[in-house]
Amino acid sequence: MEIKFTLNGKEAVVVCEPSLRFIDLLREKLSLTGTKEGCGVGECGACTVIMNGVAVNSCLVLASQVVGSEVLTIEGIANGEELHLLQKNFLQAGAVQCGFCTPGMVLSSYALLQENSNPSEEEIKDAIAGNLCRCTGYKQILDAVKQTAKELNPSAKL
Amino acid sequence: MNKDFSVVGKSLVREDGLEKITGRAMFADDYKFDGMLHSAMLRIPATHAAINSIDFSAVINNPSVKAIITSQDVPASKKIGIIKNDQPVFCDEKVVTPGDVLAMILGEDENELRELVKSIKVDYTALPTLTNPAKALEETALLIHPEFGTNLICHHPLHKGDVEKGFADSDEILEQVYTTQTIEHAYIEPEAVIALPIDNGGVKIIGSIQNPFSARRIVCNVLNLPPEKVHVVQAQLGGSFGGKDDNMCMLSSRATVAALKAKCPVKIRYTREESILESYKRHPYILKYKVGFSKSGKIKAMKIDLLADGGAYCSMSPFVTWRSVVQATGPYAIENVHTDVRAVYTNNPYTGAMRGFGSPQPIFAQESIMDEIAVRVGITPDEIRRRNGLKLGSVTSTGQTLRDHDVNLIPVLDKACAFTNFASKWNEYKNKQEELNGYIFDQPIFKDEQFIQPEKLIKKGIGLAVSFRGCSLGAEGLDQSSCFVSIQPDGKIVMLSGLAENGQGLRMTLIMSAAEVLGVSSEKITFLESDTSKMDDSGPTVASRGTLMGAAAAKNACDLLLEKLENVVRVEFKVDDSDFISFRENLVLSRKKGAITKFDDVVKLASQKGIDLSVIGRYKSPDVSWDEHSGQGDAYFTYVYGCQVAEVSVNTGTGEVYLNKITAVHDPGTVINRLGAIGQVYGGVTQGSGYGILEEVTSEDGMIRELNFDQYLIPTAKDIDEIKPLFLEGEEKYGAWGAKSLGEPTLELGAAAIANAVCNALGKRFYNLPLNLEEVLLGRKLRPQDLKRGSL
Amino acid sequence: MIDLKCEVLTPNSLAEALQYLANNNEYTKILAGGTDVIVGKTQGSKRFIDSNVLVDINRISEIRGIEENDCSISIGAATTLGEICNNKIVGEKLPLLKKAASMVGSQQIRNRATIAGNFVNNAPCADTVPALLVYDTSIEIKSHNSERIISLQEFLKGPYQTQLQKEELVTRIIISQKEQNYFGEFYKLGRRRAVAISRLTLAVLIALKEKQILDIKIASGAVTPIGTRFPKLEEFAKGKIMTDVLCKNIAKKMGEEVLGVTGLRWSSAYKLPVVQQMFYQLLKGIER
Repeated sequence: MEIKFTLNGKEAVVVCEPSLRFIDLLREKLSLTGTKEGCGVGECGACTVIMNGVAVNSCLVLASQVVGSEVLTIEGIANGEELHLLQKNFLQAGAVQCGFCTPGMVLSSYALLQENSNPSEEEIKDAIAGNLCRCTGYKQILDAVKQTAKELNPSAKL
Repeated sequence: MNKDFSVVGKSLVREDGLEKITGRAMFADDYKFDGMLHSAMLRIPATHAAINSIDFSAVINNPSVKAIITSQDVPASKKIGIIKNDQPVFCDEKVVTPGDVLAMILGEDENELRELVKSIKVDYTALPTLTNPAKALEETALLIHPEFGTNLICHHPLHKGDVEKGFADSDEILEQVYTTQTIEHAYIEPEAVIALPIDNGGVKIIGSIQNPFSARRIVCNVLNLPPEKVHVVQAQLGGSFGGKDDNMCMLSSRATVAALKAKCPVKIRYTREESILESYKRHPYILKYKVGFSKSGKIKAMKIDLLADGGAYCSMSPFVTWRSVVQATGPYAIENVHTDVRAVYTNNPYTGAMRGFGSPQPIFAQESIMDEIAVRVGITPDEIRRRNGLKLGSVTSTGQTLRDHDVNLIPVLDKACAFTNFASKWNEYKNKQEELNGYIFDQPIFKDEQFIQPEKLIKKGIGLAVSFRGCSLGAEGLDQSSCFVSIQPDGKIVMLSGLAENGQGLRMTLIMSAAEVLGVSSEKITFLESDTSKMDDSGPTVASRGTLMGAAAAKNACDLLLEKLENVVRVEFKVDDSDFISFRENLVLSRKKGAITKFDDVVKLASQKGIDLSVIGRYKSPDVSWDEHSGQGDAYFTYVYGCQVAEVSVNTGTGEVYLNKITAVHDPGTVINRLGAIGQVYGGVTQGSGYGILEEVTSEDGMIRELNFDQYLIPTAKDIDEIKPLFLEGEEKYGAWGAKSLGEPTLELGAAAIANAVCNALGKRFYNLPLNLEEVLLGRKLRPQDLKRGSL
Repeated sequence: MIDLKCEVLTPNSLAEALQYLANNNEYTKILAGGTDVIVGKTQGSKRFIDSNVLVDINRISEIRGIEENDCSISIGAATTLGEICNNKIVGEKLPLLKKAASMVGSQQIRNRATIAGNFVNNAPCADTVPALLVYDTSIEIKSHNSERIISLQEFLKGPYQTQLQKEELVTRIIISQKEQNYFGEFYKLGRRRAVAISRLTLAVLIALKEKQILDIKIASGAVTPIGTRFPKLEEFAKGKIMTDVLCKNIAKKMGEEVLGVTGLRWSSAYKLPVVQQMFYQLLKGIER
């Protein structure tokens, strides 16, 4: 089946089985390996991508379901070589250790800030609760998201 | 000591951050090669079984199956192990635990292979199982590995003073038994490795490997190849925590055997279920403590018996339990100590190295019993630790006198207590303790008095735990490291270390160390790809030794380079010997002349003169000593100290423990990268908290229940409200500027501190980790009778 | 790389979907959020392993979205839990449902998982079920040649069993607007503070006049084999004055009912006390 969709702002066309998991389409068919697989059952969030504006686990989406949708992966967050503010703040805050959860963590945070540029700490935690991280204890990730919100929105709550 | 640093102690962004934040970083499973085959493992649903025969007829002529790999394909050592060769690469006679692999099939379509492997018929005879470690040493116990004649993996005794006399001199004696659970490392990246045959008959391995040199050594044994024909490249490692060592040696062995047979690249990658099924875990312990003490709370004698379940294979058990024997009393000066630590074989999943490495278990027990003694003698938990804690000149239970560094146990304790207002909160909550109503399940329907008034539902508690921790390998073995530093003619610097970047930020720490010595900005320094063919073995990246051993070697390398550059400066710029030259901020300065020249220009001059600016710096740890029979000796050349305070709220209706705040005070010696150090504390505290209240791998006759993250629960972003890291950077003679260890100390204290806090809230002690809902409410664990997933 | 090896049919209209289901065989499954079906397929779960045709209902606009009219609120079956959490009508009129939906899985799961998907498998731990039950939820079920509306309680037959016939599709969830002034609470207990399978869920909706209980609706999940209402308990409480003693008595009676349904199981030593204690706490919260 031909899967046509918008990927990181550009049209993408992939021919594959409709019941292929979307994560495999990204990693194996398009070699976009920034999206990671940690559990395959929607529990760890390492495979998070943004689909039609919301964060989803790409291991729980089938290729056929992506047709016509708009998808953003970690490869599409930076503007060329210019990092997105959120990415810069992740680095500055020390929010990256092994880096395996990082793409999913960035995308969950990005989806939150798109919808709510002024989130409370609790809202940030809710947004990333589905992204497991075993290295950082999450605190520096929260700092990075808060800092980004602050820069995006000078009157932020945090 | 010169603490006027220009780079050391700052918070700098890690060098691999850009790759990781953009998704470009290459983890093992991200590598693909032309002609690469995938693989699927053959296992049987048995805990202990004799294999009669394997019938491959269902797959042997299937065009999708390119090769079948069995034990017969293993050219040399059929069994492997980091310490003892007891784990078959492919089992051909029997399986001794459910993760065991009998064979492996190769093909292009992984999906299909995973289906096809199910059609292979294995004729096996189920054998009786041994899953209770307490029965492993009984005369009648079945033997997991009959060739050893015993299920005993190791026994570490320790005798100091005379415990019987100590007990006789005591006013009171307290005896308790504690248990700790099996847990999973839960690195978010499952295991992956690719083996590629190379032209010289050798093989290249790219994988999620914590210790590339261990993998090389074992693969060499399996293939009977010399080290120069096996080179191991570490891919970006998606978390390890001690957990990608033995299992990655195993997967590397299988992948290389397969790649050499199939003559093409072979990838093994595990699903989460396979990862949890086969990988080793943290040792569960049974800990028996008998402590004699005076009315004033002075500990007179301690008798300790620890039993670790090693599971089906030896793995690191002898070293894990050796750390336990050194640290089992906790950081207390006790005259009379008798300790026995044993590890045994069972049919359970095997256990090995995990961040903490034999310390979290005894810390839970010893810090629990110290609190219990404090209550008995009527003093606060901090006070009993002050009365018994190690100080400069104290003698440890191994007979080692602590010197040459700040013995900061009491200072970290004091700092933590002052910061949290510990004693007054502890007393306040203690006074509010009330008998827990209603959870002795004698009758299922409540009596009226069992209902809790809503305002009393949530109880607050505060608890602490302290530890000392021997740095690096100690008497486990040779302890040295090396670091290659080369200044290029343009002034840029490249580095290599035999120690591995496992996500913890070691490379940035080493870069900062080099930048400090050479007086350059860290942006000038690049780390080269880690590859066993390019660098010396620096021992494993374990035991919180990366910074201690790695930075010391990096500093030594840069000191050698500095000497060379200084000579050039003295000659070229006519700086006499009475003047002092320093390198700072990319400049070269003399005390008399001020700024003389730029770093880059000195390098250019040196290059033009043909001076070699590539060096290998080495660091060998000071000598340690150990007597196997008495358990006496200078076990480690130095120690670090930590104190964590947990503040919790306990829901007395449900048994939930809410972690409100954990204050972590550590003396890691000099902090090099503050950003990384704080990250280590946050991460370690979070893992320690998971160990304390959530995590447990349970099994039914060896079969694991929690095979994925829907059942095996690790802390999420919502599970700990606040973590406060505080450092107290003590003076230390050894290492680079006295930089020591931090990774493991941050993890080992949390469970004990939380258990003490919950006790402070409820007035009830807990003896079995984790303090999950049932444990807190009922004082015991509940298990479903089968392996079914689900909630009821 | 995992291919579920299924045919995926993606109807664009309800009529088309119902036609697919009419031609359906026992190997056909409806695919909505995929948080059960795809996991079940990849893990080889018995309930899903034989399904080789998936009817993906995500593109059917008729069964998405939330509408309100004078007498009821209607939620399309394929509306995601995330949409429900963010919806103003739900927030104002169905706060228990909002709370329950917000506690299902993670944000990523809620962005895919659908409201009907939460109960069509009838898993005992489905979080929205107790909330939906106390709202007296009805569901609209259609097939190519039939249409029926039944109560959710009736729909939920037994563990992993419902009234749904193989050619049928749940199309809407309908909740009548109540004349009386009900308020209430939803409670969930999990092993972890987020993304946790529930150990216990409770929902209570109550109409009070002064302290007298004019009406009360009680439901639980994860303690009984399926999410359920407690009609005997409701009858017992109706008309009575809310007092501490009554709260205790209701909580004890709930314990008795749960014990009556489940008998003593491995988890009873924990769950029975907790269900009584936390139900009491819930009632006390309402009392104040």
